Amino acid sequence: MAMHPRERPVYDRRRFLRNSLYVSLGTVAAPGLLSACSSTGSSTSAANTVLPLARPDDPVTLPLHDDIPAIADDMDPETGILKVFNYSDYLAPGLLKAFGEEYGVEVEVTTFNSMDEAVAKLRTGQARFDVFFPTPDILAKVVVGKLLQPINLSYLPNLSNAWPSLQDPFYDRGPLYTVPYNVYTTGIGYRADQVSDIPANGYDLLWDERYAGKIHILDDGREAIGMSLVRSGVTDVNTEDPELIRAAGAELSKLVSAVRVKVDINGYTEVPEGRATVHQCWSGDMISAQYYLPKDESTDVLGYLYPTGQPGVVGSDTIAVAAGAEHPVLAHHFLNYLLDEKNALRNFGWVGYQPALQKFTPSYLSGQGYVPANLESTVVTLEDYRSGLQLLQLSPTGRTLWDDTWATFKSG
Amino acid sequence: MAAGGRTHQRSASRLWPALALPGTAWLVIFFVVPFYAIAAVAFGATDPLFGSPVPVWNPLQWQFGDLSRVLHRAVTGDLRPVFVRTFGYVAAALALCIVIGYPVAYYVARLAGRRRGLLLALILAPWWINYLTRMLAWINLLQPDGYVNRTLEATHLVSQPVDWLGGHAYTVVIALAYGYLPFFIVPLFATLDRIDGRLLEASRDLGIGGAGTFWHVTLPLSRQGLLTAAAITVLPMFADYYTNTLVSGSPTTTMVGNQIEFYLLQSQEKGLGAALVLVLSVLLMALMAYYLIATQRASRELS
Repeated sequence: MAMHPRERPVYDRRRFLRNSLYVSLGTVAAPGLLSACSSTGSSTSAANTVLPLARPDDPVTLPLHDDIPAIADDMDPETGILKVFNYSDYLAPGLLKAFGEEYGVEVEVTTFNSMDEAVAKLRTGQARFDVFFPTPDILAKVVVGKLLQPINLSYLPNLSNAWPSLQDPFYDRGPLYTVPYNVYTTGIGYRADQVSDIPANGYDLLWDERYAGKIHILDDGREAIGMSLVRSGVTDVNTEDPELIRAAGAELSKLVSAVRVKVDINGYTEVPEGRATVHQCWSGDMISAQYYLPKDESTDVLGYLYPTGQPGVVGSDTIAVAAGAEHPVLAHHFLNYLLDEKNALRNFGWVGYQPALQKFTPSYLSGQGYVPANLESTVVTLEDYRSGLQLLQLSPTGRTLWDDTWATFKSG
Repeated sequence: MAAGGRTHQRSASRLWPALALPGTAWLVIFFVVPFYAIAAVAFGATDPLFGSPVPVWNPLQWQFGDLSRVLHRAVTGDLRPVFVRTFGYVAAALALCIVIGYPVAYYVARLAGRRRGLLLALILAPWWINYLTRMLAWINLLQPDGYVNRTLEATHLVSQPVDWLGGHAYTVVIALAYGYLPFFIVPLFATLDRIDGRLLEASRDLGIGGAGTFWHVTLPLSRQGLLTAAAITVLPMFADYYTNTLVSGSPTTTMVGNQIEFYLLQSQEKGLGAALVLVLSVLLMALMAYYLIATQRASRELS
């Protein structure tokens, strides 16, 4: 699966300094071991299931299970503690508090660093969550693996605020299991004070030797190789053609010797703090970057390029109710709450990633003061999403091809 | 008398194994079991739905496909430069540790006099601060406009700021040496401190001179300490990945630890990552075996 904008390495500088200065080194390796060892007792009932690979032009209706029904209509929300399982810093704390006050409950957020880790933890069944935030590329396997429960749309009138295409999305026809959360594009963040000319093929900026040593790409095989494919004119970013993937990988490898390319997912700090001049990043990174600028610098030094006139990569998130949730009705109310325009705007102001609501156009968000005018390109439009390419689930063999190519690039 | 002596002997022979029990249990729980778990993942299967590893605990059912793929790639494929680089960086960092650490340990052990307690405390002081925090501090120091470059420019040693963080081998080697230097100095200090001063006096009385005494007496006597110090620093350096990620983050400096991290955290091929862990462990065990043989030989020579 592709890496998600909210995935943070455990040794990310900002997060590390903010959260705890005294965390022991032992914990650094923990997630790896966790995800490697946690699946010990896996009984693979679906051992021979071939997962449907959802594509925009090949939508998928996810299977329902008789033993996991949706909740009935017109029930009262439960009380107690709503347990949310999400990336860290991906929900505004103030909004959670407001929700808690409105419903007389508490909201407890447990965080994960990657979808792999999240799925491994859900599968242990030891921690029971109410709300989970899966990405579309893993939906099929968590539904087949019985980790989600179907949603009851009668509790979700605010779904009508969402983009029409995401009210009945290709990855979850119905929708049966999810409502949309945030959308983002993958583009290039750059220092507008140092980069004067944008090449005709925008992605060539990352190959520009004038910025050698200060060029970064995302530490994610799907995003990096996908970008290399798009640069060379391939529009199927989920291709499993070995030739195409290897050629895209070879183009990336040129970056190693030519510009000593760096690989990380910290565009939101590397660009504003001046360590990167050009950084492949997610749109939300450049919205957050304004808060990491040195005090005396204006947001004019930041730029975000989402190449127009050629296809780019877009992504989206979903919100779902976990199977075995102890507060399923309350969870539905929470989903509906996040789809409310006022709440969603408040959430956006804190997380920097844009909810997929019709009202949130570039001019609206810039008018509200959340996005500087020179960074309006960070806002995803309906049209961007419609014409955008999405990194979606691959077959196991396809996935191995991508992984091997990325490993070869990373070995330098 | 005789009977009493035998009882005493028998209870003593039971006492010592009993005392070794907690340590043995510790080793079994925290070394043997995890190591076996890694082997079970490396030689195990993959869950077809979730793509996660399924450990196989029965050695009779182990499959060695991942291991042979890792070995093949380490010899001819993409992992070869990674292994070569790792050995090169560790060797260079060790050399740096010797050049910096030996004089420091020597000074503190033999020449510091009353200040040795203070100096030893200062050498150990970095241990009070978390390793990651220290490394993160280096990023600020080495930034283009950081203190290191400002100092170099102010003293006119360089005219342009040095691009320390641009993905260079020398930065990684310096960072590795910095990170593990205290581990190097302390065991070496302990050995140098134990060298009988009378031997050095005798050497000088016999007219060998300062440099000759160091070469013919101090250095051979501190060989065991050097080996221990080298073993203690080299082992964690081989598996290190975060130092490299923080100060370079470029594929130009990828080490084995980085590829292990990639396979275990980012890829679907966790079995390959586990196999890579095993290969690295075997290499380190060979180094450890050499260390044990060498120290045994050295102690036999001494006695």
